[in-house]
Amino acid sequence: MKKFLVVVKREYIQRVRAKMFIVLTILLPVMMSLFGIVPALILNIETPPMRVAIVDQTGRMYSQVRQALVSDQQEPDAQNVNAGPQRVIPRRSFSRFVLEEVNATDESLSQIRATLDQRMRARELDGYVILAPDFLSQGKAEFVNRNPGDLFSPRVLQSAINRAAREQRLIDAKVDSKTRQELFKGIELQSVKIGAGGQERDSGGSFAIVFGIGFVMYLAILLYGQIVLGAVIEEKETRIAEILFSSVRPFALMMGKLVGVSLVALTQLAIWGLAFSAFALYGVGLLASQGMMTNIPSIPLSHYIYFALFFLLGYFIYATIYALVGSMVTTAQEGGQLAMPIILILAVSFYLFWPVSRSPDSPFSFWVSMIPFSAPVAMLVRIVTQTPPFWQIALSLLIGFSSVLVIMWLAARIYRVGMLMHGKRASIPEAIRWARQA
Amino acid sequence: MASINTTVKLDRVSKSFGEVTAVRELSLDVRAGRVFGLLGPNGAGKTTTIRMIVNITAPDSGTIQLFGRRIDAELQDRIGYLPEERGLYKKMRVADQLRFFAEIKSMRGKEVESKIDEWLARVKLSEWKNKRSMELSKGMQQKIQFITAVIHDPDLLILDEPFSGLDPVNVELLKEIVLDLKREGKTIIFSTHQMEVAEKICDDICLLNRSQKVFDGSLREIKRSFGRNAIAVRCEGGDGVLDDPALVSKVVRHADEAQALLAAGADAQTLLKRLIDSGAVIGKFEMMEPSLNDIFITKVTEPA
Repeated sequence: MKKFLVVVKREYIQRVRAKMFIVLTILLPVMMSLFGIVPALILNIETPPMRVAIVDQTGRMYSQVRQALVSDQQEPDAQNVNAGPQRVIPRRSFSRFVLEEVNATDESLSQIRATLDQRMRARELDGYVILAPDFLSQGKAEFVNRNPGDLFSPRVLQSAINRAAREQRLIDAKVDSKTRQELFKGIELQSVKIGAGGQERDSGGSFAIVFGIGFVMYLAILLYGQIVLGAVIEEKETRIAEILFSSVRPFALMMGKLVGVSLVALTQLAIWGLAFSAFALYGVGLLASQGMMTNIPSIPLSHYIYFALFFLLGYFIYATIYALVGSMVTTAQEGGQLAMPIILILAVSFYLFWPVSRSPDSPFSFWVSMIPFSAPVAMLVRIVTQTPPFWQIALSLLIGFSSVLVIMWLAARIYRVGMLMHGKRASIPEAIRWARQA
Repeated sequence: MASINTTVKLDRVSKSFGEVTAVRELSLDVRAGRVFGLLGPNGAGKTTTIRMIVNITAPDSGTIQLFGRRIDAELQDRIGYLPEERGLYKKMRVADQLRFFAEIKSMRGKEVESKIDEWLARVKLSEWKNKRSMELSKGMQQKIQFITAVIHDPDLLILDEPFSGLDPVNVELLKEIVLDLKREGKTIIFSTHQMEVAEKICDDICLLNRSQKVFDGSLREIKRSFGRNAIAVRCEGGDGVLDDPALVSKVVRHADEAQALLAAGADAQTLLKRLIDSGAVIGKFEMMEPSLNDIFITKVTEPA
């Protein structure tokens, strides 16, 4: 036991004192906020307006399309209410159009096409839309685009023409303008979350928190799993393991390593957690006083505890497997290759975040939050969105930590043999044989 | 307490890995306060034997006793072990590193610090105390590794090829330390395939070949039992005589002299007479103790 603590102490002190730890502690939150801000900034880059000609063979649509596009540009959110908070990308930059009407009565369609194609080749025009005479009944329009890689403009254009067609059909049906305005009046959808103290207003902040927590969980497990892998390979490569095995039981050494690194991880997460809380408490007010509204929902203390528990669960599952892998390989490169499947499983369990956050109460969400490999992210997402009954959380932890014990038992048996084997990478059948040996 | 003079006792110990037998029916007595050479070519089973003594692997059959007891975790603290291929934590500072290895052997408190300083001074690396080990040269690292094996003042020190790759000055330094430790009453097991090194510091030896013991005993007795049957000769002419299998079983020619091992039943006088009769001009004719290397080669090539 005392030797186990010596191993834990070395692992903890050496890592927390390392420059890498300090740099990472500061840099990661900075990087994460950059990942949040930079895409928004990039999407905000002004692009020149798209020049589109409308060949209106119906003779009634041009002004409607124009109006629909203009209203789009003035109130970008009006059409956006159903898209949910993840569509924070400002669409304004993609909906800038310069329209021109092409007289469709004097020339034949093929002549018009030829002229427009000519102008597109000369780069005087970016695209044109042909609204056939039976457009309003058939609902089919053609869009010739100089830049087919642009995925956004056709969508904006389609939605504008769609609205324009609806408007025109209503006019044709002799609906007066007042009724039409009533019909098209936008609605507002306000997300409301049921909290312990009744209903709280929520405008997408929760989603960001859920995503952030899931991502930090995933990243921390991945990062610290890799650190364990590196630590095990270092001791094997340098043959320090042999000296240590002559002084301390292999199981105590492996556990000391896992626990030591887990304490480093918890230290780092605690620093981030405190920084985040401090920001939520003081920073938001400060930003608000400067006119920047930020909405950070309050996180109950229990969520911090659940986060720590599920982080430890995920960490011990993955890091133990990493330790096992580390004892089987001879170099860091080999370790990286053999660890690929683990990273894949981890990544998949992170992506489960989407279906789970959409329907946290579904049977699917229930089962993935019970499977130890996906439980850390899945259960945490459920806790933050719609806290499941306590027995489910307890069951998930019970299954998870029981699996951890099984994995540790298995890993320890392979570890004590693998750490002394040099020369070549152990094959999976070899590892199984070691695990079977008494 | 008959075992008090025996630090390590192996009784018919065997160990195999799959189909490969690493050690077969090995019995050994390592006497307290002596330097015991565990010798043999690569792959003879030396490292496996050592791993069983330090309780890294368990024997398949047979028993191992240390200090008159079966090995357990507590006894491990009384052993210092320097494996053949070894390393240090690259990014750890020398003092932290030594402290860790002392603590893992259950040393605590101020004693650790004073031991670190004492040993660093002894191997002349005091000014490197706060450097990271990756900043040290290979030879310096080897000396630090040596300290990790002795810092907790073990009663039994096991050194597996401790001098390989060291320059002569440092070999001399470490050899002196090993002999000092012996004078302090420590038992030392010294494993090597370099017979010349073993010859200089071992009191007792055990020769392993192909996972079995070839012979063991005190170095002096072994040499005596082989008699003075090696002769160094420097002469001009008379080559045919040295090649006569009735007289000489083996001859090794160096630049200006030859080493001849007498054939069974032949004696040195006859050889000398034959050389003179053949008209050779003799510059040197000296009877020597056989080297450990010669004994080893004779023994392992001997039909069983």
